[in-house]
Amino acid sequence: MRYESVNVGDMLGPLPKGPLTSAHLMRWSAAMENWHKIHYDKPFAMEHDKLPGILVNGTLKQQFVMQLLREWAGDDGWVWKVSFQFRAMNLENETLRVWGRVAAKREWKSYGLVEVELGILNEQEKESTPGTAVIALPYRDGEPVPYPFVPPTQ
Amino acid sequence: MTPEIERLIGAESDNETACDVVERGAVRRYVQAYMDDASIFYAEEQRGDSRYGGPVSPALFPMNMFRRPFGTRDPFEEHARNLDFDGIVGSTAQGLPPLPLPKGIGFLNAGTEVEVFRYARQGESVTAKSRYASITEKHSSKGPMLLVVIETEYRAGNGDLLLRVQKHQIRR
Repeated sequence: MRYESVNVGDMLGPLPKGPLTSAHLMRWSAAMENWHKIHYDKPFAMEHDKLPGILVNGTLKQQFVMQLLREWAGDDGWVWKVSFQFRAMNLENETLRVWGRVAAKREWKSYGLVEVELGILNEQEKESTPGTAVIALPYRDGEPVPYPFVPPTQ
Repeated sequence: MTPEIERLIGAESDNETACDVVERGAVRRYVQAYMDDASIFYAEEQRGDSRYGGPVSPALFPMNMFRRPFGTRDPFEEHARNLDFDGIVGSTAQGLPPLPLPKGIGFLNAGTEVEVFRYARQGESVTAKSRYASITEKHSSKGPMLLVVIETEYRAGNGDLLLRVQKHQIRR
């Protein structure tokens, strides 16, 4: 992706994920060594914690967002800043759709910066994870964004 | 907000080193678990003088490297007869002294902000150092609450800054 080819309003993705079964959630919990029972122990989640079911991990949703942004930025770009909020639960067996939209862009010295609004929707179009990101993109005839990343100074 | 809590603003944790380096197998399990098959995590051509200097881990991977080391107590054994044990074995305070709050005060993860500077390469060690960046009291219709911001910097073994993370917590 090159800075000049991006326009405000452009959509990123969507990146579909799921349906996320209990096997997916157990696999993520194991990879993370996160043993919080609300992500894999249905009786505990529902009877003890009074939740409607086992929950998709917030950290898993963060990774989905990071994947969408990295794939969109490409090898020569860089995902500099990302913010997430966990506004709603997602439950086992939901299918999620990670989305982004270019909200603004501005030039800086050796690369351009693209501001993105993002989130994760389920099949009912309910937003669970609103956030924002800033992605650095190379200019059309420019060098790749420096790595390690050197942030703008203003 | 009490004077004891106010004094913790700016308090820092020790510089903690993750118990394992960035392991190839741990990266494989991690990326397979969120279903991301990008070649930067495994391909041979990522070695040597590539942009990243070798196969890397996902940007947020260092946040999850601070696990229970060898030779430490097993929380599952400790809580095996506790039906209320929720399985949480880490700390919500990132190595910082816990806030002196009365029992029963709840915890809510209000969001996370991340700045990414480079990926941790496979084989590298990672350190983390946290501080209470801010603690402020707010009043809502549900009563008073504390807004707590914990900032953590993750660095590679050579000192390079990998990530700067701000976690926003609500305590009420």
